[in-house]
Amino acid sequence: MRIRVIRAATMQEAMARLRQELGPDAVLLSSRRAGGGVEVTAGMEPEDEEEPLLIQPLPIVAPPPLARVPPPAESHDAAALAFHNLPELLAQRLGGGVLEARLEATLRFAALPDGVARPLLLAGPPGAGKTLTCAKLAARRLLAGETAPLVVTTDTERAGATEQLASFTRVLGATLAVAATPGAALKALARRAPTQPALIDTAGTDPFDPGSARRLAELVAVTRPAVALVLPAGLDPAEATDLARAFAALGATHVIPTRLDAVRRLGGVIAASHSAGLQLTEAGTGPEAAGGLVALDPAWLAARLRVRRHADMSPPREAPP
Amino acid sequence: MTTGDGRLIAIASGKGGVGKTWLAVTLAQVLARHGLRVLLADADFGLANVDVQLGLQPARDLLGVLSGRVPFEAAVLHHEAGGFDVLPGRSGSGALAGLPAEAVEHVAALLRHAAAGRDAVLVDLGAGLDAATRRLSALADTLLVVATDEPTSLTDAYAVLKLHAADRPGGDSRIVVNQARDLASGQRTAAALQHACRSFLRREVALAGVLRRDDRVKDAIRRQAPLLSRHPGCVAAQDVEALARNLRG
Repeated sequence: MRIRVIRAATMQEAMARLRQELGPDAVLLSSRRAGGGVEVTAGMEPEDEEEPLLIQPLPIVAPPPLARVPPPAESHDAAALAFHNLPELLAQRLGGGVLEARLEATLRFAALPDGVARPLLLAGPPGAGKTLTCAKLAARRLLAGETAPLVVTTDTERAGATEQLASFTRVLGATLAVAATPGAALKALARRAPTQPALIDTAGTDPFDPGSARRLAELVAVTRPAVALVLPAGLDPAEATDLARAFAALGATHVIPTRLDAVRRLGGVIAASHSAGLQLTEAGTGPEAAGGLVALDPAWLAARLRVRRHADMSPPREAPP
Repeated sequence: MTTGDGRLIAIASGKGGVGKTWLAVTLAQVLARHGLRVLLADADFGLANVDVQLGLQPARDLLGVLSGRVPFEAAVLHHEAGGFDVLPGRSGSGALAGLPAEAVEHVAALLRHAAAGRDAVLVDLGAGLDAATRRLSALADTLLVVATDEPTSLTDAYAVLKLHAADRPGGDSRIVVNQARDLASGQRTAAALQHACRSFLRREVALAGVLRRDDRVKDAIRRQAPLLSRHPGCVAAQDVEALARNLRG
């Protein structure tokens, strides 16, 4: 609230000056006779500005290089699919031939949108790993010598959320915009360079809670991003499927499974992406910001399904040259 | 407020220098004279001065509690003349001035725990609107917001009330006008602030009390004694008594 106290000879004069200085929305708070005239106090509440806060980066310190993945191991596909607890019909569909080919025919694989033409928004339930995934994507661009992305976070309520992401972006050389509203996020996006990618990290969303779902829908409607669902592996397949469908209804087209380094069974991830028609993109396979993301394709996924374990692996495949 | 209800009353102002700490000390003394078991906690992190107003030289304080060196109750002093307990803070402590969120939550839990064993805990908050002050304002059962008739004080008190409305929707915040020329002018100041809250926040905020300007307040502070110990019948003491009755009503 802005307060202005004005003394004038008459009430009319005082009010005219108040309107002139504070505008038509000024509210008269008090008035009294003073010094042969009047003294009026008025207040005006400016609208809260939808301005993002920008946290500038520190000088870049390059994280260590990515580790090469270990060589493949062999296993029986049918037993592997049974182990992963896939829904019966989906297991049958994947079990009728070479696993890599069946995965390719059954699921959708795609590269993760780069966030240039449209920002890439990471959505998901609380604790899915959205913020860490955001940091990983930013780190990968930096390591590849590409333009630092603009990172926008709308997670302004969870204690420590901004500071967690800022601790990454400061080191990575990326600017972090903290946007409390969709309008502020849009303003932040408008300030990026023409070819600069943008990543939007969001607060955890419960898609079955109307208020929570509405907040995400409003953000998507305003910022018009490509939406990737960050989905933790290890969920019950039915639960994961419900979540994926709900996020697809909110605009998700891609999925980034996380915690593949912490769970063994992938039935939930596969069932969810298949049921909701989400494109499998990359997977989180470690807690470190530099690395810990692998591109998903039929060969990688088949190998991961066969090894049936999470410890000491990314799955067996040669790293790209 | 009744005996045993363990009410947490925080005192804030936004602007410094409006008499927040003095009110906290005097209200603690008045409530103690009502027979209540009262703790006055100095939560003006970094710029604590309850101990200065009371002439205390505390060997232990809130910083010791937070660092784990001192149990909470071991840091609490009993002020004999005032009749209430005091948890001193520490002025000039960088550690307290930059308290991380986890430590603020610890303080909040300690105050809640302290309230359970007493009739009232008064929390003297710092000026400004940092995260710790906002958190403890939202925690309190009642937030007293102290203002004077200066435009800067009104603006800052309104800001405190606005954020409290956002942090604690439906919470109990009340206005205290201090250093008023007389009761009528104090009520006009309160009315202006209430009108601003009604117009801009769509919120009714009650007036807890008007405290008239009284030179004996300065005298008591200078002599590092609670007001009622030196000037029990003065105007300001009467007004704080009325404020206490209002709170207990």
